[in-house]
Amino acid sequence: MSKLLSPAKTEVLFMGNEAIARGALEAGVSVVSGYPGTPSSEVIERLSEVARERNLYVEWSTNEKVALEVAAAASFAGLRSMCVMKQNGVNVASDFLLHLSSSGTRGGIVLVECEDPGALSSVNEGESRYFARMLEVPLLEPASFQEAKDLTKWAFELSEKIRNIVILRSVTRMSHASGNVICGKLPEKFRTARFISDGSVMDPLRGPVVSTPVVIKHGLQQKKLQTAAGLFEKSPFNSYTGPKRPELLIITSSACFLYSREAIEMLGLQKRVGILKLSCTWPLPEKLLKKYLRLTDRIMVVEEVLPFLEENIKVAAMGMLKEIGMKTFYGKMDKTLPSAGELNPEIVVAALSKIMKVKPASLPAAYVKEIQKVAPKIPPRAQTFCPGCPHRASFWNINTALKLDGREGIVCGDIGCYAMASLWPEIGFHTVRTLHSMGSGTGLASGFAKLAAFGLDKPIMAVCGDSTFYHAVIPALINAQHNKADITFIVLDNAGTAMTGFQPHPGINESAIGDPLPSIDIAAICRGIGAKVAVSDPFDLEGTGKILTSFMAERGTLKVLILKQACALSPEKKGKKQFQVKVNEELCLGDHCGCNRLCTRIFRCPALTWDREKKKAVVDEVICAGCGVCYSICPQKAITRTEVAQ
Amino acid sequence: MVELSLKVKENSQKFLKKYVLDEGLCTGCGACVSICPYQVIYRDRTVQLHQCDLQDGNCSAFCPRTPADPAALRKMLFESADLTPEIGAVKGYYFSRAADPELRATAQHGATVTVLLELALSEGLIDSAVVSTRNQEFLQEGVIVNNTEAIRKNTGSKFTVSPTVAAFNRLVTKEAGNVGVVATPCQALALAKMRISKTEEFENKIKQLKLVIGLYCGWTLSVEKYTKLLLDKNITPESIRKMDIPAGKNVLEIFTDDGAKAIPFEEVQACVRDACQYCMDSTAEYADVSVGSARFAGSWEEVRQWNQLIVRTEKGKALVDLAVKKGVLEVRTAPEESLNELKAAAVNKKKNALKNIIRKSGSVKNLLYLDSRDPAVLKYLTKEVFNKKVK
Ligand SMILES: Cc1cc2nc3c(=O)[nH]c(=O)nc-3n(C[C@H](O)[C@H](O)[C@H](O)COP(=O)(O)OP(=O)(O)OC[C@H]3O[C@@H](n4cnc5c(N)ncnc54)[C@H](O)[C@@H]3O)c2cc1C
Ligand code: SF4
Ligand code: SF4
Ligand code: SF4
Ligand code: SF4
Repeated sequence: MSKLLSPAKTEVLFMGNEAIARGALEAGVSVVSGYPGTPSSEVIERLSEVARERNLYVEWSTNEKVALEVAAAASFAGLRSMCVMKQNGVNVASDFLLHLSSSGTRGGIVLVECEDPGALSSVNEGESRYFARMLEVPLLEPASFQEAKDLTKWAFELSEKIRNIVILRSVTRMSHASGNVICGKLPEKFRTARFISDGSVMDPLRGPVVSTPVVIKHGLQQKKLQTAAGLFEKSPFNSYTGPKRPELLIITSSACFLYSREAIEMLGLQKRVGILKLSCTWPLPEKLLKKYLRLTDRIMVVEEVLPFLEENIKVAAMGMLKEIGMKTFYGKMDKTLPSAGELNPEIVVAALSKIMKVKPASLPAAYVKEIQKVAPKIPPRAQTFCPGCPHRASFWNINTALKLDGREGIVCGDIGCYAMASLWPEIGFHTVRTLHSMGSGTGLASGFAKLAAFGLDKPIMAVCGDSTFYHAVIPALINAQHNKADITFIVLDNAGTAMTGFQPHPGINESAIGDPLPSIDIAAICRGIGAKVAVSDPFDLEGTGKILTSFMAERGTLKVLILKQACALSPEKKGKKQFQVKVNEELCLGDHCGCNRLCTRIFRCPALTWDREKKKAVVDEVICAGCGVCYSICPQKAITRTEVAQ
Repeated sequence: MVELSLKVKENSQKFLKKYVLDEGLCTGCGACVSICPYQVIYRDRTVQLHQCDLQDGNCSAFCPRTPADPAALRKMLFESADLTPEIGAVKGYYFSRAADPELRATAQHGATVTVLLELALSEGLIDSAVVSTRNQEFLQEGVIVNNTEAIRKNTGSKFTVSPTVAAFNRLVTKEAGNVGVVATPCQALALAKMRISKTEEFENKIKQLKLVIGLYCGWTLSVEKYTKLLLDKNITPESIRKMDIPAGKNVLEIFTDDGAKAIPFEEVQACVRDACQYCMDSTAEYADVSVGSARFAGSWEEVRQWNQLIVRTEKGKALVDLAVKKGVLEVRTAPEESLNELKAAAVNKKKNALKNIIRKSGSVKNLLYLDSRDPAVLKYLTKEVFNKKVK
């Protein structure tokens, strides 16, 4: 049995994302949708494992906007639903979110967004809390694992109370760390879906679900927000710990609550500094705030990443100036804390010790020792593609084609594992020149291609993964075709959303819970819009190279090359080597002129290692995935490969 | 020059890029190609695919457009008494042609090249030969051949560059045995530099090189420009059977499937590969024998069937003597004025090259890949050349 289904009152070790999933189950969620993205993916993955037992519909949608639409439909039909994404997914969903929050919802609906301060596995540090303020919907931020579960469950209730969507925000350190959670009851009854829409447009439960008449509905939406604020005032999720008259009040939320508490303990400031932990962060519970702001005149706001709380608290404090008096605020705006990157207890310690004039030397010796023990164990590993990764071969091909073409073509990158090619240029053989949001590579390429008239006459390429293709590339591709953009567009089709853990996408013939689904053929879509399409295996360096150079020479049209080869870590490949690969030491030229370690210095498959003593290349058979590509690049044919019987 | 040679030590590949490729000096000979994974030829361009950080590498050592020690090269290959400043070593200078008229009909001129190759093969002097073939897209490739039929399939001159030396690097394996190469002047120079540079990896292969038949060369054409010119003239490259520059007509004659066409010489000249303007050698001075087209009074149909032949080495002499003895090659003593004309034309090319080099470098003190201490260079650094320097 999945631990997600543990009986009530048991204490279970849950990762933050599992706690959120359990909370949703306890709330009786029926429909869960989302788009994979670290650090959010486990919420849906865990739920898909219990989908059958809990009568859930779980879907990996094509993108976040569609995912939210799918979840909203369930809410309109009176079911409880949840939509899960990473921080920048909210940007994608935001257009629908604007209209949804205005039309209102029926069954409880929660948008779970997991943010990535420090961009540990993102190419942005997007702050999505501002959407709550901008689009006028309530925002909750759990500050412990127990709260992650409890607050999720309560979010559904809140949503139903105010008949609007609620955003629940987590961060990497909350989603991916684990802690003990006491489980609540799982509901025994399941709801049935009914969509009534024959009532008046002003009837929130029986009318058509629309955002018009806009001004009236907007006014209603703001009332809902006030109702939420009222509930927040009394919510047990907001709490104060500390002395009656603290010298400094920390106001914090989410993982930063844990950092702040730890910092106070590390500096032994429990008697001097108080913490107001807010888990309901928008709209702010102003009465509660007033009560605690009165306690002292020095306030520090600790949060990630942007000063969202800080700004809102300052605005609120201005409004109550007469009652609470002048305050000194510390936080991101006065640079006491950094406004980019992750926070951690050490950063809070540094800030606290400056304000409180205590030495951080009072760090417990045991703690310092602990840190020193783990520090050297974290290997300073250069990021690279895995052994047998098709992307290495693909970028190898792209580099060769660009060099042969000789016009210094521009490659626009996109989001996926292959984004590493732009983050660490040498692993993509210095090919990729831009990297933005999902699908942007193709849009940018479409634009670059139009700059020839202004003197930028270079071959333009864009790459994207298969999942990204469905997510956001199609409109850009249609744009390119329609506007006759001369681009070579390359789909790095590795048969899955590899970066986030092989969630299925429309190209895969399987649903989130493993049921058969029809797959959507990328080549057919591209042919359908009139593009010239070729499909090749990136491991076939010669064949792929020929297509690429001929595509680049063909001017004036959109050309699509689909490079098909499954990810080395994909379930179908894992542990199965196609080739047994060895280096023939006799033939290997090593670092001599004539090769100069092409395989270990340039190609850089992690399975190819350099024997310093013998000065020869060696294949690390344990990690070699047996793709056999190195055989094709070795100038000496010193790397041999033999097909392994399957 | 000292300064340049030092730079070679720093990083061979970067040196090649900076002083040869980026300078537009690359002849496309292919000497730096197929000796390692880093340089390749694509169409007629030499391309560096990835960075190499070695010093003293073969790429810059073999390249005919990096500084060399010409005195040492000449000493290795020729007898000093045979050396002339204008056209290199001369043991004998003749007009020659294949005895077989059928062979002459398929060859570029008198088929001297083909006769000598075939003889070298049949006599066991060489086991295979690297010659130049042409593909549909008007791009050439070097191939290795080891029988008469294959040699005859690849006769005729192709006026775009052939990466012959790359083919030598790639195709000459142990099994190829002793090898002969048909080479333009830059290619012959590259092969000579290969012989002198002692690198472990290359020593065995270069020992297999037993014969270099040089071709006279005024220039080669840039594939890109030339294809465009042909396109403008409605000539499809695939239809071309033969091309020639008949004496005194000032045109390039192109024989296609649908008849002969003539393109005015100025138009052709505009398609010459940039690198060729910096080349001092018109007679393939570093070969065993060099072959060009004959020039004498008479109908072009008659003249066309004759070659000029310079014999430069003992090995070359032995081969030509044998060809005559066997009756496969007809040889005539060439008149004195023909040799003088040839020398005058050769000097002309040398002076033009020097002018162009000085124009490029902006200073007489910087002769790019050449060394002003080399007597064969110094001799042509005349006032006339100097004065042209700033244009
Ligand atoms: C680019 C070029 C420029 C030339 N310029 C002149 C000139 O200005 N004056 C002059 O007198 N002669 C010139 N020649 C030489 C002339 O065209 C004949 O090649 C020569 O007279 C030999 O004639 P043949 O009948 O003996 O050749 P064939 O018996 O027909 O044999 C020719 C041989 O040359 C090889 N070959 C053809 N093209 C090339 C190439 N591009 N690179 C390397 N090998 C090749 C062929 O594979 C073949 O083996 C030039 C040749 C070339 C290739
Ligand atoms: S590419 Fe081949 S020759 Fe070069 S180091 Fe690797 S195994 Fe040896
Ligand atoms: S076969 Fe070669 S390239 Fe592929 S994983 Fe093994 S060592 Fe790496
Ligand atoms: S391996 Fe040798 S020949 Fe190749 S680029 Fe490096 S130095 Fe030059
Ligand atoms: S001239 Fe020959 S050796 Fe030199 S860079 Fe060009 S192709 Fe390479």
